[in-house]
Amino acid sequence: MKKNVLMAFALLALHTLAIADSQWVLEQCTLAYHVSHPLHQTDGVSHAARGKGACHAGECDFLIAVPVKSFDSGDSNRDLHMLQVTRGAEFPMVVVRTHLPESAATSATINADLEIQFAGQTAQYKQIAFKLVTQSGETHITGTIPATLSDFKIDPPSLLTMRVKNEIPVRVDMTWHPQ
Amino acid sequence: MLKKIFRYRRSGVPGLVFLVCLSIAFAPSLTAQTAGMGALTGRVIDASGNAVANTTVTATSVDNGQVRSATTATDGSYSFDGLSGGNYRLKFEASGFKTLEIPSAIVNGTETAVLDEKLDAGEPITAKPTPVSQGNLPNAPSSSTKAPSLQDLGFPAEQSQGNAREQALLDRRTHMLKIHQRMGLITTIPLIATVATSLSAGGKNTSTASRDLHTALGGVTGDLYFITAYYAIRAPRVPGTETRGPIRFHKAMAWIHGPGMIMTPILGIMAFDEKSKGEKVHGIASAHGPVAIVTAGAFGAALLSVSVKF
Repeated sequence: MKKNVLMAFALLALHTLAIADSQWVLEQCTLAYHVSHPLHQTDGVSHAARGKGACHAGECDFLIAVPVKSFDSGDSNRDLHMLQVTRGAEFPMVVVRTHLPESAATSATINADLEIQFAGQTAQYKQIAFKLVTQSGETHITGTIPATLSDFKIDPPSLLTMRVKNEIPVRVDMTWHPQ
Repeated sequence: MLKKIFRYRRSGVPGLVFLVCLSIAFAPSLTAQTAGMGALTGRVIDASGNAVANTTVTATSVDNGQVRSATTATDGSYSFDGLSGGNYRLKFEASGFKTLEIPSAIVNGTETAVLDEKLDAGEPITAKPTPVSQGNLPNAPSSSTKAPSLQDLGFPAEQSQGNAREQALLDRRTHMLKIHQRMGLITTIPLIATVATSLSAGGKNTSTASRDLHTALGGVTGDLYFITAYYAIRAPRVPGTETRGPIRFHKAMAWIHGPGMIMTPILGIMAFDEKSKGEKVHGIASAHGPVAIVTAGAFGAALLSVSVKF
């Protein structure tokens, strides 16, 4: 009888462990948007993103945020124009939210639905593919978000009367660490 | 996650425990059929390691709701071919066994994964399905109170809070610099024409008409230039911004074409007077041509520096 009780407790403990809350922290992140113009190909890069993931009962909510100002294209004039056109002073953060099953961490790829708040607008991207590599307890995630200016109601800026392309793909390179 | 599901099963009634080992050999089994198409195969066995035949395996795409089903063979194997890439929910149903649901399995044409798991089953093996109450986004951001908030990330307030005044400053700056850009382009037209007419205005056999035309074009160029410069000079500065990139060269050129645009017409008037008196252009007035060329060159370089990436 005692043995059965002990076994029941042990199984209960296992169950509790299985559904225990856990957290993920964004350790390193590089985000780069690409803007295409007939005379220019520009990449703006930011390393200033911060992120957290909270898992409960096998489901995780992730939040990543990055200041719009932190994107650097190597040209301060262009960055200020970017800040103006994206209303970056009024809406200073790009916020990305996603919800994934905890099991996704063991996959080689994940297809995530993203909700992105940027320039005072919210856009949703379905089933964006990311590659995952888990090494030494850290998960390295890479992928590209197929963002467009029109998703955020941004009027494409022009130079010499030529407008930039609507597509502004954002490359993502992140390293997450479980807490 | 699967491991957790399987551990969960162990908490059931030991007497009813049976073992289902689910071998989902994604990688060897996820063979690309065509671009964007994949396959999914696996094997279902019981606690003793024996194959479970006639298990109904249902794959439901969480992306588009498409449902495919297959039945395991005598060796417990099943296979789905021609699946479009994406996220699938799998359900395993066999007579005498509890139903097993796998909430998420990624299928694509290139990646592979192998999941070999053993589990004890004492109650329905039902994993918590992916939330479906969030519209048409199968794994869309949840509204769970457990979800991290922006405050959790620790950004300082000055970085994360909007500033309408700064936005207004940026709007005004961009507005003025757009006019600066357009005026600069417009200025280029009379500038080129002025340089072109200089060939017939400064030689030995020149007419008064050609000198007048050159002078008029020079005057228009100067007027437009100073309007262009006004919008650049008066555009508000954004505090705390360090000047980097091609704009530095653009601004440096202004120190050449700015004084040049003042000097050129002064020297031009002197040269015009000397020429009108029938004299040969001499003294400081003879610098009109070279100064004009350097000024036009610096103006062109400034324009190109922010227009074309070198």
